Amino acid sequence: MPEKSLEDFIRQHRSAFEEEGPPPGLWTQLEKELHPPKKNKVIQMLGRHWLKAAAILVLVVNSVMIIQFLQMKKAQSLKNISPELQEASMYYTTQIEQRLEAIRVYPASVLGLDSAARKELELRNDTYQLLEAELIQNPGNERIKAAMVRYYQLKLDLLDKILDELRTKQPVRQKQSEYEREI
Amino acid sequence: MQALANNLNNTTITDHLVSRCKKGDVHAFRELYNAYSAAMYNICLRMTGNTADAEDTLQEAFMQVFRNIERLENAGSVTAWIKRIVVNHCLSHLRKKKVYFEEVDNIDVGDEDGAVDEDSFAWTVAAIRDAIHVLPHGYRTVLNLYIFEEYSHKEIAAMLDISESTVKTQYMRAKDKVRQIVKQKNAIR
Repeated sequence: MPEKSLEDFIRQHRSAFEEEGPPPGLWTQLEKELHPPKKNKVIQMLGRHWLKAAAILVLVVNSVMIIQFLQMKKAQSLKNISPELQEASMYYTTQIEQRLEAIRVYPASVLGLDSAARKELELRNDTYQLLEAELIQNPGNERIKAAMVRYYQLKLDLLDKILDELRTKQPVRQKQSEYEREI
Repeated sequence: MQALANNLNNTTITDHLVSRCKKGDVHAFRELYNAYSAAMYNICLRMTGNTADAEDTLQEAFMQVFRNIERLENAGSVTAWIKRIVVNHCLSHLRKKKVYFEEVDNIDVGDEDGAVDEDSFAWTVAAIRDAIHVLPHGYRTVLNLYIFEEYSHKEIAAMLDISESTVKTQYMRAKDKVRQIVKQKNAIR
């Protein structure tokens, strides 16, 4: 039977235009998406944020390399900046370390110094680090070089005086004899 | 009275189903899918024109439904809500396939439900379905959204981001085209 209009025909036969539903496998796929197989959380996160992870890795590697480079530069700097100072430094460092070794033999009660004073006696104390930093920043500055040498000399004098006093206070031990033999 | 009772009963069931879905109950998701997948698949099939794209679009749309159902405030509007998501997915699928819904020059289309189909001839479901299938994407989309999905011209215009008059023009052209195709088929027979 002829129909009046397309709309009317479609409305009257609406259900006939409907086809079967989706294939049954579609729900299985959806279910998989709802419950993706559980991967290791770290792998999942890396998968999702691989770009961020790569960027962080690059930053970390760069930072480590920069720190290593700076440390290496600092270690080499004194030698490069002033070879003659390096020579003096080696001499004084050996001498100072020998005195410090000898002082460490005495018990704290005999030494009579608190921890802050003992720390100050060490070779690489705050003054030393300050001078070293200044020298790296101003490699050609003769005044700083002279101050560094003066620092070594004063430290050596001080340590000698302490050792003299200790020898007076406490009878000479085996280790002190060794020290004396060395010098 | 019985109809009212059935209606109330259905509303309660839907409310309960939506509420379970909001709690992430996978069984409820499956029930929701079973209830709506056939109708929604038909929308996808009509809009995309082939089963492979229809299946992909339906799957994407249902994933969005499951992920966003907690945002659905009124469980009573779940059908319209799901349908809108499905239609939106179909439209984005068409846009990905470079189907553009462009403005056209207005033509005098007369009354949209008027006497365009005055010539009486034998419409058949198969003939109409085949004719719609071969329509250009733009025409087919407008015709499907208006006749089958029952959106107004205004709503279609908003969805496609074109003017209402363009929608009307496209719809009338689509209808004429369907008529021509079916008429040609009838003549061959």
